[in-house]
Amino acid sequence: MVKYVLPLTHPLLHVVDVSVTLSGLKILDNVSIGIPEGAVTGLIGPNGAGKTTVFNVISGFVQADSGQVRFDGTRLKHIKTHHLTSMGISRTLQGVGLFPSLTALDNVLLGGSAQVKSGIVADSLAMPWTDVEQRRLRERAYAVMEEMSILDVADRFPSELPYPVQKRVAMARALVSDPKVLLLDEPAGGIGAGDMADLARIIKSWVPNRTVLLVEHHMELVMDVCDLIWVLDAGTVIASGSPEQVRTDPAVLAAYLGEEED
Amino acid sequence: MGSFLDYFLGGIANGAVIALMALALVLVWRSTRVVNFAQVGQAMFTSFIALTAVNITGSWLIGLIVGIIAGGILGFIVHVLVMRPVRRADASGAIIATFGVLIALQSLAAMIWTAEPRAYPTPIEYAGLTIFGRVVPLTGYDVFVFIVMIVLVLFLTILLTKTKLGLSMRASAFNPEVARLSGVRVSRMLAIGWIIAGMVGAVAGVLIAPISSLSPNTFDIFLVFAFTAAVIGGLDSLVGAVAFGIGTGLILSLVTGYSDASNAPIVALILLALNLWFKPDGAFSHHKARSV
Repeated sequence: MVKYVLPLTHPLLHVVDVSVTLSGLKILDNVSIGIPEGAVTGLIGPNGAGKTTVFNVISGFVQADSGQVRFDGTRLKHIKTHHLTSMGISRTLQGVGLFPSLTALDNVLLGGSAQVKSGIVADSLAMPWTDVEQRRLRERAYAVMEEMSILDVADRFPSELPYPVQKRVAMARALVSDPKVLLLDEPAGGIGAGDMADLARIIKSWVPNRTVLLVEHHMELVMDVCDLIWVLDAGTVIASGSPEQVRTDPAVLAAYLGEEED
Repeated sequence: MGSFLDYFLGGIANGAVIALMALALVLVWRSTRVVNFAQVGQAMFTSFIALTAVNITGSWLIGLIVGIIAGGILGFIVHVLVMRPVRRADASGAIIATFGVLIALQSLAAMIWTAEPRAYPTPIEYAGLTIFGRVVPLTGYDVFVFIVMIVLVLFLTILLTKTKLGLSMRASAFNPEVARLSGVRVSRMLAIGWIIAGMVGAVAGVLIAPISSLSPNTFDIFLVFAFTAAVIGGLDSLVGAVAFGIGTGLILSLVTGYSDASNAPIVALILLALNLWFKPDGAFSHHKARSV
């Protein structure tokens, strides 16, 4: 396992001094988080710490009051959510967020929306060049579904699938655009021990080709897969480091136990 | 006094027109989750533009094409100028805005073309067909309208269910956040939904106009009928809109035939009320479309 010395010299994704206020509440207060390339970075903290808000800022759902997000050394201004996958950033949501009226395959194909350039005219006339791109996307969809071991449910609807399988479909949708960075929001939520072990294996198999930022409550999973962990509490970073460092950090223990530090 | 068969045949043609207007309502609902009460206003306005084109060129077909293009443009304008700004408001705000657009379009049309009803030409003679040696209340034009509707439904079904564009539109309507994360340009999909609905509404308008005549208010009653059909059909189902559009046409034709034409809107509203009472999600809805 690679040891990361903080501060990171060249983080691939860098949240710099970001503050967010929502409905008068300070959700994030000068949060800086670096995500090194080719590693799994964890973002943990008690409920309401602001973990998902960090994701929301990166993915353009929430506008930061101040601070910036840098990707590959470039500042991202006015993040447009639909541009993320073309930039190489893909995100899963808490829960599954699958479309109930679409098959598992169509749900996965949707994740490659930005990869297929076609328009209303070309689509209605079924132009041959859209076919080529569609076919390429379809092959890619089958490949990621195989990777997630869900190829056999390609034609089923989400409501027919057990929850852990739905989560795999959602993950395949995030993978189909072949992202450089994956933002996973509670991928282990609602799944059992067996699926959790599979999940850990899958996440580890992505690095170093992909970079992962993981928000997760299941500590065993976080400690198992992460190379670097950031700990948020009440909108500020209270600790960071390797799993061993974070595990024994008194501030972290205090935050999780809900105690004040002496 | 006609026979049941006569009323039935007359109802099919009426139903086809109602179905077309209901389709436009469904298209806007599917892409933006807004019931567009301005749809008949847009159809009326573009029918006037189409009629102007017919008067200049003398060609019904050119009128239709001009109407369709104008319908798409008007749909886009309504989306950008009115619906996009109110999108952040709650659902009732958006619905009230569509009423505003309806009134504005009707007033504007009255200013430009006056409120006097005008005749709209048909491409096929508007006269009863002779079947088994008897003249029935089904005209060649009615059959034409029916065929146009079927072709349009097939085209839209393929567009919405078999193409990537349709996939993106459905995703945008159902869960814009997930759609955006998947790389779908949601705002563009909403605009395309309004454009396509505007075009379909324009076709409906141009086809209704010869039957109802054209004035700023003559389409109003079709809003009641189309809304009934679309809601009973489940609001997000093209097939439902068509089936209940035709069904509504048939029922209204029978009501008109056996009682009086003025009872038709009341019956339509009773159908709507019964539907909302017993099956608020609509007969053809796959999933919960509305929470009441």
